[in-house]
This record gives sequence, structure tokens and C-alpha cells, in this order.
Amino acid sequence: MNKLKAIPPILTNLAKAAEKQLNLDESKEFQELAMSFYETTELPVCLASIEESLQEKLQNEYPAVQEKAAAVGDRGVLRAFTWSKKVTSIQKSLIHRYSQTGEALLEDQNLYICEACGFISLGKNTPAICPICKAPKKRFSLVK
Amino acid sequence: MYAARNIDLCSKDCLCLFVCPTGATDTENGQIDKNACLDGCRLCVDACPSHAIYLVYTTFPEPKKKNPEVLEKLTALMEKTYHQELMAKALGKSSQNSGEQRLARALEKSLRIVAEDCARESGYMLPQSNQVRHLLTSLLDTADKEQKLLLEKLI
Repeated sequence: MNKLKAIPPILTNLAKAAEKQLNLDESKEFQELAMSFYETTELPVCLASIEESLQEKLQNEYPAVQEKAAAVGDRGVLRAFTWSKKVTSIQKSLIHRYSQTGEALLEDQNLYICEACGFISLGKNTPAICPICKAPKKRFSLVK
Repeated sequence: MYAARNIDLCSKDCLCLFVCPTGATDTENGQIDKNACLDGCRLCVDACPSHAIYLVYTTFPEPKKKNPEVLEKLTALMEKTYHQELMAKALGKSSQNSGEQRLARALEKSLRIVAEDCARESGYMLPQSNQVRHLLTSLLDTADKEQKLLLEKLI
């Protein structure tokens, strides 16, 4: 288990769970611990390389998860698969649109994130409801 | 088990104040004082006309064990997603265009939420679970002094 490479998201998820249980000190400790494991990559990155990586994920990792989860009937995993595959497609489409239109795409437009599923909304106002996971308006946060 | 208030639903009719035997519902910060709340009493939950008060549990069942093959694929998905988050973070720092920076920050945040969902479905849903305790214990081996301090508090 100590070979896991994605410690920070595991820990921030636990921070959120502790917060929902109103264990605020514990939540803060999970958050701090997550930050201490957070890495930085100095590799030069461009949007096209992220788009390519998202495409790989749609072609390889997602079908693999779906196949195994469907075989054993794990509905929780299938639910996560459904949401996050849609979110990934939206991420990829936004990158693609930016590569076509450049900075004009985001001019006078806001980006909102659904805190429940990660859906990104591009527009002037907060969406009334998340089209992917149906979370209400108050679960959206503005990207600054 | 203690009561908590969903402030978005609270209509300030304050019937919870009438029934609470300890005054736990009457606080200046809009929340219920969980240290004063009586375990499982639920009088305020039933008295609230707006359904704004709920009970937070303090004991939980151990989460269902995941199939190892599903877990392997889901972990691969989570790790790739975390790697993409780090890519987005790097782009946010290196980009010279304000729109692109904002898009990178949105991607970073969105990818983190997706990775967290994978973590939750990989069995790391509940801070109190054995699987989480095992993970935290395994991190002790390579932890620095500050990490050790936090880990010991959490285990």
C-alpha cells in the first residue's frame, strides 16, 4: 500500500469526510498532511500535453475500470466512473476549444467548478444545478 | 451522535432553543455546540419546523471490502488523474496568458475532485476505517518529523 502515488487526493478526501462529521481539527490535520505530500513538477507542460493525457485516460483507464466494476457489480465504482468520465470529456473539450479560439474563449466569462463531481462550467453565472451529478448551485465555486 | 444545523435551511424560528435541555443549540456562531449536545437526544431534530437539524454519527460500519481487480484499475485511474493535476498546476505557473492560467487552475481543481472520488471508491471513504489506519501507519516509515506528528494524531 505504501507504493501508492496519489497520497494528497486520498488525504484531502479524508479531510472533507472529517469536515462533514464536524471533526474540524482532524480535517485540518488531514489537510496539512496532504499539503506535506504534495509534489511539484518542473517539467514543461502545455495544454496539448494535458489534452493528450486525458485522451489516453478515456481510451485506457476508464474502460478498464468499467469492465472490472461491471463484472463484479460494484455500483459505487460505476457511479464514480460515470461522473468522472463525463467530467474528463468536459475538461478535454474545454482545452480543445481554448486551442481553437485562444484567450477570447475566456474573456468576460467565468469558470465554475462543481465541488461534488469536478464538472467545469464556462459562463457568466453559476449554473442552477450540476448537469453531471445534479448537485445544487451552492456546491459550485468560482475559479479565480 | 450529535446534532448539527444546516444553516441554509434554518428559518430562525428557534424552536430548537425551546426544547434543548443543555442550551447546545443556542450559540453565537449558528452552529450547535457538539460538546454540550446530549448523545442521540434528537429533541431539536424533531422540533425543527424547517428540517434544518440532523444527527452526525460518531460510529460507523467498516466499509465493504473492494474487489482487488477493481481496486487495481481504479488506483491506476486515480494516479493518472493526480499526475494530470500536477501537470495542470505546472501549467498554471508557467503560462503567460491570464485566461490560460485560469483554465489551468480550473483543471487542477477539477482533476483533484475526480481523484478524490476515485480515492473514496477505493475504500478511503471513512477516516475511521481500518484501511485508512493501515495507510496512515504505512506512511510513518518514510515520514519527516512534522508528518510523524500529524500521523500520530490521526492514527
